[in-house]
Amino acid sequence: MNRKKDSSPSAVSRRGLLQGAAGAIGMSAALSAFRSVRPALAADVTLRWWSPQSAPAQLEAYKYQIAQFEAAHPGIKVAFEPTSDETYPVQMAAAFASGEVPDIVTHIPSFSVASYYAKGLVAQFDDVIKAIGIDKYYDGANKTYEAGDGHFTGTGIGNTAADNLWIRKDLMEKAGIDKIPETWDELRAAAKKMQGGGIYGAPLPFAKNSATSFVVTTFIHGAGGQLFTPDLQVAIDSEATANALEFYSSMRELCPPGATGYSWGEMITGFVSGATATGYYAGRVLANVNKQNPDIADKITCVQYPTISANVQKTTLNDFPSVFIPKATKNLEAAKQFAAFLFMPEGYIKQLLAAPGHVLPVLRTIAEDPAYMSDPIIKKYPKEVEQMTVNAAKGYNMGFESPKHKPNTKSVDIIASDVLSEMVQRVALNGEDKKMVIGDTAKKLEEIMKS
Amino acid sequence: MSPSLKLPSSSGGQHDPAKEDRLDLTTMPPVIGMSAVGVGQIRKPSWGVSLPTQYSLIGVLLIAPAVLIFALVIAYPLAEAIYLSFFSIYTPTLQGEWVGLANYRAMLSTREFWAALGTNIVWTIGTLVLQVVIGVAIALLLNLNFYFRSLARSLILFPYFVSTVVAVLVWRWMFNDSYGILNRALVVSGLSDMPLDWLGAMPNAMISIILVGAWKYFPFVVIAVLARLQTIPEELYEAARIDGANVWSRFWDVTLPQLREVLIVIVLLRTIWDFKEFDLIYLLTGGGPIAATQTLPLLVYKQAFGMNAMGMASTYAIGIMVVLVTFMVLYLQRTRRGSELQ
Repeated sequence: MNRKKDSSPSAVSRRGLLQGAAGAIGMSAALSAFRSVRPALAADVTLRWWSPQSAPAQLEAYKYQIAQFEAAHPGIKVAFEPTSDETYPVQMAAAFASGEVPDIVTHIPSFSVASYYAKGLVAQFDDVIKAIGIDKYYDGANKTYEAGDGHFTGTGIGNTAADNLWIRKDLMEKAGIDKIPETWDELRAAAKKMQGGGIYGAPLPFAKNSATSFVVTTFIHGAGGQLFTPDLQVAIDSEATANALEFYSSMRELCPPGATGYSWGEMITGFVSGATATGYYAGRVLANVNKQNPDIADKITCVQYPTISANVQKTTLNDFPSVFIPKATKNLEAAKQFAAFLFMPEGYIKQLLAAPGHVLPVLRTIAEDPAYMSDPIIKKYPKEVEQMTVNAAKGYNMGFESPKHKPNTKSVDIIASDVLSEMVQRVALNGEDKKMVIGDTAKKLEEIMKS
Repeated sequence: MSPSLKLPSSSGGQHDPAKEDRLDLTTMPPVIGMSAVGVGQIRKPSWGVSLPTQYSLIGVLLIAPAVLIFALVIAYPLAEAIYLSFFSIYTPTLQGEWVGLANYRAMLSTREFWAALGTNIVWTIGTLVLQVVIGVAIALLLNLNFYFRSLARSLILFPYFVSTVVAVLVWRWMFNDSYGILNRALVVSGLSDMPLDWLGAMPNAMISIILVGAWKYFPFVVIAVLARLQTIPEELYEAARIDGANVWSRFWDVTLPQLREVLIVIVLLRTIWDFKEFDLIYLLTGGGPIAATQTLPLLVYKQAFGMNAMGMASTYAIGIMVVLVTFMVLYLQRTRRGSELQ
């Protein structure tokens, strides 16, 4: 039988159409499969960038850096994905477990990077530091990123003086306080005097989260204690911890009722909005006050947070915001190129000035750059910015409690477990016996260190 | 003449009226995997396989996709969870070692598990009771005739359809101590001198999550109960009125017995769903203060990603599964009994 072939476009049978569609899908699937097994070419690369620092101004700066990088590296795209200070440990854990890791991570504390590196989850960073220029860094800026094997686990993208005491000078004057508090007793008394008329004394957190864990750690240090001995034996069961908890608990009545749910966001908002007379935060307060509550912009200042007595040396909590590359990235070379590019002066300065005084430069060359120094906020608060810069550089955190301490690679597990914030809640909110709670916490820390 | 199915003849031979009333399978084009077989030839082997076997094979073939999907999305994760529960595993690396039943012994001997189970029960019962009471009450109202009834029926479903994250953000805003409407109302009305800590102190935190849970999920009860209310015969109410029953008696003696079956199903289903609730509680309180609102699903999350102990988390998950399976069996028994009665 001869079948006349109709070549008109409209004469396509349904069966033919379906066969065609099936063929197209098959072809497309085959092409996709081919693409997936083909070695990654530059044109295929999309880098995923995670960071917990994602305020609108910072996002703008990142956008600029990404655009510059993409223009200089055709075919490589960068997708920014925000995470948060509270959730990054679980997000990173899930990412590592699934193998679906971001290609580059920035602004998470250095001790987390050390923890991940110790588990073999982080790529060596030596050649990126070399590309940035090791001579451009402040001396010792990369000390917290030195691994036991002689390699670098990452590098700092900045320093942060996280535990400043912010205070309202106008409220001090009104309350008849002539001296910025230097000890806990002075701080408590000042906060009591300034509290009233809808203003609370302080915005300290009492939630089960990392913010509370960080704050209690600084208070333990402020009482002359440590979480661990230099060789990483648990040292929390001490008189210093009991004193720190006593002070922390005594501040509860000077904090808003909702402080039981506070994290970093509420802490800064409390002070910036004028709801509290004092604050506990890093340098972001400067930009936020000037933008969100300019009425108090000339009435604020900051100092290192008070300690139990003048005899205890003041220290500064620096979480050493980092840059690192997960080992499981499929785009290692491109990620390294982007990591180094983040420190190119123009983009890096834009990034730092997106939160002036908050993320402080780790490169000496940048700190001296007129483009950085000419920022209006930095010019307006030179004393505060300089003080934070100097103190942050000498700072510490849980993974690096003192220059004598070994790097604590379990710090991220300690933060994620909430054992420290739970200790605060049990004492400050439940009124449980301090010694018993500290003993329980010490046992839990020992378990984590053994795990 | 009974209807007949005329099939195309491949032979093109003469029409046989004697065959008109029956299906001539010998002339049918072969079906996939099956040769044409005539009536009375059932036992004739094709490819050396009998027809019943061929039917069975086709059955297996047809059910295979469903079985495969079931195996992939239910059986495999379940088996994996059980398998993981015998290991001590560090989550980020998924590396670990065999520990046998140690995780189960640890789970049963730890106070945290029993506390979380107790919290789970308090939350489930608290929110469920409120959901049912509010749901039935609203369903009764929506069953009355009034203007804009259709609009009211649509709007009442809003909490159920809104995303949990959005709902929690709105509630957290309302609970806020500085600018939340609830605290503002309390202070302005003089009921309280100071704002209340709704989410950071007990028993406020538990009451708050129960209230938000009830608000979020009562529309499910409304939908189910309203559907049943609309099928209750009006004659029953008329008979009750003739017997002198007042509104309360009509509800108690007519409506409630008629709702009994649907309420049992609702309670069982919602018990299962509320028991495993995670996002609402986690986003509202994070399980705090301390561990006062930490239910078992939150404990699983804490173990998996807080303590990075995936093996222990799997053990807790199996514990939850055992509880839920109990409810599931009850539910299945109930529905089976219901269908037998029908």
